[in-house]
Amino acid sequence: MKLLKNIFVLISTFSLSFSAFAVDKSFPNDNVTMWGDFSGITLDVKLIGGAPYDPLYQVMIPIWEEKTGGKVQILSKKSHFELDKEIKQDIAAGNISYCVVSNHTSFATQYGDIYRDLNGIVPGNYLAEFVPLVLDHSTVDGRLVQLPQHSDVSNLWYIKSIYENEDNKKRFKAEYGYDLAPPETLEQWKEQAIFWSNPPNFFGTQYVGKEEAITGRFYELVIAEGGALFDEEWRPTFNDEAGQRALQWFVDLYEAKAVPAGVLNYLWDETGLGFASGTVALNLDWGGWGAYFNSADSKIGGDVGLVRFPMGSGGKRGGWSGSHTYSILNGCPDENLEAAASLIWILTNHEAQMHEARGGKLPTMTRVWDDIASEMDGEGNAFMSNLFSTFKASMAEDAFTPPLIPEWIPFSNIIFPELQAAIVGDKSVKEALDAAAKETDYLMQDAGYY
Amino acid sequence: MNKKFFSSPIILILPSLLAIGFVIIIPLIFSFYTSFTSYKLTRPDSLYNFIGLRNYERLIDNTKFWYAFGRTILFLAIVLNLELLFGLGIALLINKITWGQRTLRTIMMFPMMFSPILVGFQWKYIFNDNIGVLNNFLYLFGYESAIPWLIDKYLAMGSIMVAEIWANTSIFAILLLAGLLGIPRDPIEAARVDGCNSWQVFKNITLPFLMPFIFIALTIRSLDVGRAYDIVHIMTGGGPAMRTELLWTMIARIGYKDANMGFANAMSYVSIILSIAFTYYFFTKLVAARRELGQQ
Repeated sequence: MKLLKNIFVLISTFSLSFSAFAVDKSFPNDNVTMWGDFSGITLDVKLIGGAPYDPLYQVMIPIWEEKTGGKVQILSKKSHFELDKEIKQDIAAGNISYCVVSNHTSFATQYGDIYRDLNGIVPGNYLAEFVPLVLDHSTVDGRLVQLPQHSDVSNLWYIKSIYENEDNKKRFKAEYGYDLAPPETLEQWKEQAIFWSNPPNFFGTQYVGKEEAITGRFYELVIAEGGALFDEEWRPTFNDEAGQRALQWFVDLYEAKAVPAGVLNYLWDETGLGFASGTVALNLDWGGWGAYFNSADSKIGGDVGLVRFPMGSGGKRGGWSGSHTYSILNGCPDENLEAAASLIWILTNHEAQMHEARGGKLPTMTRVWDDIASEMDGEGNAFMSNLFSTFKASMAEDAFTPPLIPEWIPFSNIIFPELQAAIVGDKSVKEALDAAAKETDYLMQDAGYY
Repeated sequence: MNKKFFSSPIILILPSLLAIGFVIIIPLIFSFYTSFTSYKLTRPDSLYNFIGLRNYERLIDNTKFWYAFGRTILFLAIVLNLELLFGLGIALLINKITWGQRTLRTIMMFPMMFSPILVGFQWKYIFNDNIGVLNNFLYLFGYESAIPWLIDKYLAMGSIMVAEIWANTSIFAILLLAGLLGIPRDPIEAARVDGCNSWQVFKNITLPFLMPFIFIALTIRSLDVGRAYDIVHIMTGGGPAMRTELLWTMIARIGYKDANMGFANAMSYVSIILSIAFTYYFFTKLVAARRELGQQ
């Protein structure tokens, strides 16, 4: 409960830690530039907003306006879940004549054919700078409908000092029979989370507990346990033994009070701020929090460790991944296309990605992975070097997207209440998954998969 | 015929009829039509995919919908009754005050001035199990277990009810206070002269006079509470595990997140039955109360 004061401090410093940055306006490290004279053109855009995203717009958009003579009119800036609803309403109302919109690889498939194919609009030599797999994930029905700004995948953050404490090591060994070290398997993760928990002041771990967030977490645990959400014909299979083991993991942690009681209302901000408040031992999260976790603004600054996502019994690690992207709409007038492509370029180019990477966000350009690692090594920043080497390995070996089908979000809305029902004990694991599988079966039948 | 049609009264009410037609009738007809289609927001051409009663047939078998329906009735019943009790109590107390009544009336209306979204955030923070004011307050008094206010099967719905009641009790209080100020003094004084005690005066004179105001307030609030969305959406989103799912959080999710607007509209039309039933009941009671007072 001493968390109260900590959270106040963290919320105020959280926004400060994502402040505007300075760039060399000539972009000397960019191999491809897409400047042009766009005087008289005003681009209408809708963007994802929030503290982690706004600084990039605040710096890059004025530079773009200054150097091209074009104007950017932001029609809407909100969280991606809200933006998703707005785009759906725009489609229904036929109001899709704006030019550039934030997108996400997990969401893009829902919106039909409202986006332009960026092949041909964005120069091939610029596209060649991106990690090919990430461009594959940005492709829907053979069309490149989005250009990735940064990617996300999760790994396990932990408080180092509690793992280095000799007394903790002795107590843990006596209780569990093996040496205390950051978990390598899901089973160890669960055991250690229970070992660390001292509710309500300290918790072993936590998870995002609602909406697509918990669906994604469940999905990656199913994969780690050797299962799959669907079979080859898109029939639900997540209620098999692997799925049950995955859900049981969430249930066991909740029942053992190793996670906060309110965890089912948590999304990304709650888990990130909770870990930074020093009241959670192990936190599965993306790299974008990294610099903040280890900063002086965080209660655990200088005391943060990171390991790969622990392995499940199927011999695989979790790796639910996606990318924040930008798209150009079909409704964007032809005469504005070059300007729209130029705007996307400045928001995704080497300079922009290097800035984002310095905070821990994962680049989508092959060269930026190398450049940021060199920069961090040169500065002797062991924490950030470890961050990038860990996440690079995850992106290369573990990362997988959710099924890139339009039914992903409706499927998520079916399954997440059932996952919650099992976690809070309203249903058994089997009952919950069977109920979700039955409804998913209807969903996929209606969508014409079989 | 044409002459009669274009007579002055018709021309005078034509703007109103057109406005009502465009703002209410056409959207109602359109949404009713979509409830017979497989209309998805993201597939505008599905608007023409007529599927007859299929959405309604599915609804009948949809236990989650009927649970939400039942939960909404329970929510309505408890919230309306408690708001009535608290509102009546506040109105009676303020009516007794002879100094500072206007100031108190203004203060009483403060909760109504907040947007429901703000009220939702405020109470979400108060009831947060980890950083919430309430649990930290209890902690000061030695209660060390974090109560999951927004998670527990009963407490979650109770917490939302508290927020709803806090925000809207003053509507009852204002309407009932207006009623109290309009009650003639003569019957009350006559009753006191005849030896009635306070309870007898309240039960036999004040309350019958207030009944029309009570039913008007109940009608207005039943329509409001039946549409409860903002506060619930912010505080729990209808979760966890649909424990706080009400009709409109469910309909909004199916309509906007799943983009399944045809099915969501079918749900909406079935849900309207609830509002019509409550409105009809309260209006029947209102007419009876007025008849008893000889006002009809």
